[in-house]
Amino acid sequence: MLNRYLGLAILFVTLGGALGAHGQEATEIYIPVGQSPGLSGKSSLMGTLDSVDTGKRIVTVSSPSGARTVAFTERTSIWLDRSLQKQPNRSGAIADLQQGRKIEIKLRKGEPRPVAEWIKVQIPGAER
Amino acid sequence: MGTQPGQIRRSRNESSLAVTCALAGALSALAACTAPPPSPADPVTRGKAIFFNETFNGNGRTCGTCHPERNNFTVDPAFIATLPPTDPLFVAEFNPALGKNFENSKLMRQFGLILENLDGFDDLEKKFVMRGVPHVLAQRTSVNSSQGPRTGWSGDGAPGDGSLRSFATGAVIQHFTKTLNRVPGVDFRLPTDAELDALEAFMLSLGRQQDLALPLALKGTVAKRGQVIFLDNGLGKCNLCHVNAGATANFGAGNLGNANFNTGVENLPDQPADLTGELNPPDDGFGRPGDGTFNTPPLVEAADTGPFFHNNAIETIEGAVAFYNGDAFNKSPSGLALAKIDPRGVGIRLDATQVVAVAAFLRVLNALENIRQSIELLEAGAGKGFADRKEARELLKRAVSETQDSIKVLDGAGLHPEAVAHLQEASKLARKAARSFFRRDALARQAIDEQRKARAQLTEAP
Repeated sequence: MLNRYLGLAILFVTLGGALGAHGQEATEIYIPVGQSPGLSGKSSLMGTLDSVDTGKRIVTVSSPSGARTVAFTERTSIWLDRSLQKQPNRSGAIADLQQGRKIEIKLRKGEPRPVAEWIKVQIPGAER
Repeated sequence: MGTQPGQIRRSRNESSLAVTCALAGALSALAACTAPPPSPADPVTRGKAIFFNETFNGNGRTCGTCHPERNNFTVDPAFIATLPPTDPLFVAEFNPALGKNFENSKLMRQFGLILENLDGFDDLEKKFVMRGVPHVLAQRTSVNSSQGPRTGWSGDGAPGDGSLRSFATGAVIQHFTKTLNRVPGVDFRLPTDAELDALEAFMLSLGRQQDLALPLALKGTVAKRGQVIFLDNGLGKCNLCHVNAGATANFGAGNLGNANFNTGVENLPDQPADLTGELNPPDDGFGRPGDGTFNTPPLVEAADTGPFFHNNAIETIEGAVAFYNGDAFNKSPSGLALAKIDPRGVGIRLDATQVVAVAAFLRVLNALENIRQSIELLEAGAGKGFADRKEARELLKRAVSETQDSIKVLDGAGLHPEAVAHLQEASKLARKAARSFFRRDALARQAIDEQRKARAQLTEAP
């Protein structure tokens, strides 16, 4: 009986246990900075981009609670929030991480250090 | 001077109009005295209004467009065929801005499939999946897992924190937009926090609030056998991933909550949507890129909410049970894992009579849930005061609809004809109650009696 339960537990690990639940990123791209439901103002990091170190792959964000450094990887999505311009949001690149821009970062769960799952960069109203 | 017939008629009409007006005035005065104003503090009521009426300044769709109450909160080809061409479900057919890459009308009308850009919006022409519309019943029992909330067919349907509360935000962006630019404030507005709270409360209020406790004391010979097979972890093995015919898994060490599995549905040959020749890219399930797994739906509500699986590949509940006998399942990661722990090395192998028995069991469970809901609706409808007669009528109409479902699921497999007769009578009485001005309460009570008689045919339980 014990073997059977053990087998079934292995089955769960094989089929479902390794899955970490996360929100559907696909529609997230269209949600402006600061408006992500259940994240903004709760667990995401929001502030102004202080600096980017492309070599070390880290960004530093300053917020009312102080400066914070977050790593990004090739799996980190970068999105340009162009809602202030009434333009569709789109995927961005590291080059779009410009100092002084307002950003929001969702941190990946289960990482020993802060790693960005996605970074939204707000494009100011007048810029195209 | 003789009176013209028209004048007499008009005069009669005028007096009856006057009487009607006086009566209506008195009734509305009575209504004004007795009807409590809708409570703004009741999030379920507010959520319901948002679910069915709020378009979020988008293309005209509401949550209820794809999750209509009168069709068990889902759409299927038979229901879709009853809708007028102007229904917002067909917005891609009459809004030129959504004419391409928003929906596939052919697959929607033939198979009830909806287009989703689950792997991103960067290649709308080729990157999409076609999915059925899951019902939103019993979500209180089916969303939570040890790894977080599971929403939608692949368990990752919500943006933000991935919760059921956040689901509506993603749905508005995907399905409510006026153009494919999807600019908030232009093509739609995003739901507010208060709206998300209310929508979540409403969705959680729908259907069962707790799981069943199997086995039930069923009376039907075939359904009873089906239940035994369902619960037998060495034969049907259904209860491993659908504990108590719900949506949670338990492999012996405690309930694991709502889980995702790769059961090989995508590998089915001859999938109806593929047979049309329309572009229907493979669906990789959970995550980006997907891992091939899909979320486990509850089974109690299954029999009257087909077609089945994320791609509506199978039309009947018998076909859905039979799927687990086939190569697609038995060669899938889930089938192989089951075979690995089976002393005979078998994933799932049922004979035709056993397939039918499990399906009969699921049909009876569904009918019992329909009866439970019908009684609840009839009691609520009967209990309404004169001032709430409109609401009472709505409740009674829903009871009729639920009763029709129970008749359909039982009759569809020739199960429990005596119960079906009682349900038919219950349906007639509930219909009359909905129309009746003075006998609503009595007729609804009689309908409840008939529902109870039907239930007594299905199970020993009171």
